[in-house]
Amino acid sequence: MRRINSMYGRIGMLRRVSEKLTKQSSDTFLASHSFSTHGGYGGDGELQQNNSKVKIFDRDLKRIHRDRAAWLSSRHKNNSFVDAVADNLLDRLEDCKKSFPTALCLGGSLGAVKRLIRGRGGIEKLIMMDTSYDMIKSCRDAHEDTLDNSIETSYLVGDEEFLPIKESSVDLIISSLGLHWTNDLPGSMIQCKLALKPDGLFLAAILGGETLKELRIACTLAHMEREGGISPRLSPLAQVRDAGNLLTRAGFSLPGVDVDEYVVKYKSALDLIEHLRAMGETNGLLERNKILNRETALATAAIYDSMFATEDGTIPATFQVIYMTGWREHSSHQQAKRRGSATVSFRDLHKQFGGQSES
Amino acid sequence: MVRLSRVLLKDAGNVIDKTLSEILVCPLSKQPLRFCEKTKSLVSDTIGVSFPMKGGIPCLVPKDGKILEEESEASKKNIK
Repeated sequence: MRRINSMYGRIGMLRRVSEKLTKQSSDTFLASHSFSTHGGYGGDGELQQNNSKVKIFDRDLKRIHRDRAAWLSSRHKNNSFVDAVADNLLDRLEDCKKSFPTALCLGGSLGAVKRLIRGRGGIEKLIMMDTSYDMIKSCRDAHEDTLDNSIETSYLVGDEEFLPIKESSVDLIISSLGLHWTNDLPGSMIQCKLALKPDGLFLAAILGGETLKELRIACTLAHMEREGGISPRLSPLAQVRDAGNLLTRAGFSLPGVDVDEYVVKYKSALDLIEHLRAMGETNGLLERNKILNRETALATAAIYDSMFATEDGTIPATFQVIYMTGWREHSSHQQAKRRGSATVSFRDLHKQFGGQSES
Repeated sequence: MVRLSRVLLKDAGNVIDKTLSEILVCPLSKQPLRFCEKTKSLVSDTIGVSFPMKGGIPCLVPKDGKILEEESEASKKNIK
């Protein structure tokens, strides 16, 4: 613990150094200041533990979850939900005339993205990044097994909140179902934007607020009945309106957001939990209750069954996925016109279309 | 043949990939990294931290970094 504190304290030391170093390094350093939402760097190089204002998720626990997911997913080969999301994301590359020679793939369901690229987007160099070493290793082993050498792939273990990528160095960043576990999502997105070349594309898919609403309801009810209180079992998830704000706040131009809902059917609540484990999506909140009563778990499964089961006995689970698209600004993008450069006044417009709307 | 190439890759794993070496910077300071032959790790001189390389894959998670004590003392003196 002390080690980590002193690690971040190093950044404070760095701030003093950069003032004396050359101009160009201070430019990049200022850029990295902009993503800190907390004024954590502010003051005189005194740094708190972390940039983000709130620590909601336990990142170390997420790494362990993802290690486990790497071991489990080698057994369950078919994961149609994750494949569908990755496919949807990669399809958007077909809509762009531009090709993206260098691409970075951030956490989440890396394996699916890599498997499903199939030459879309003109990707030549792919960099795979994840917080979990085991996940990267299993991706690399899978790659060697298929002997598919059309795309030059490099592997890297890194944290989405501290992106170790140089500014303006990649054409495309894809993150499929990975960013909803970051504590500081605006900060991560700003770092992604900085890592992109001008006219570079950022594609992300995160889980939205409606995800697993049935599970949320069943858990809450079971807990209240058995234990008299509730503890958070599902992480706070973004809403669609927030996604748009996130993109503009990170400074992406031409932002686009759309939502899709997938309903996956399971034979029982236990299968749902197994699937979540295999994807590395189990509870990672700092505030979680580490003990789960057997009675409560059984009660949850029973409530889920009785409230939401379909005629054929399977239970549905909703996954709401929010797809976000953003570009790094470039002179060829549409810009808002300068103030005072209007050639037509509102009065003329009103006269033209007058009587149709009052406001 | 595949197995042989995998073994070879493991040994050659200590050399850093060309693509990565152009793109990687320190996750904390965003300054360039230096590959240290002796310890087979990537060193960030500005903040005096070294990041290990496991099996040829650089691990640039801040938590995995090790602080290099002696070098930090020297650099502190230089700043003053």
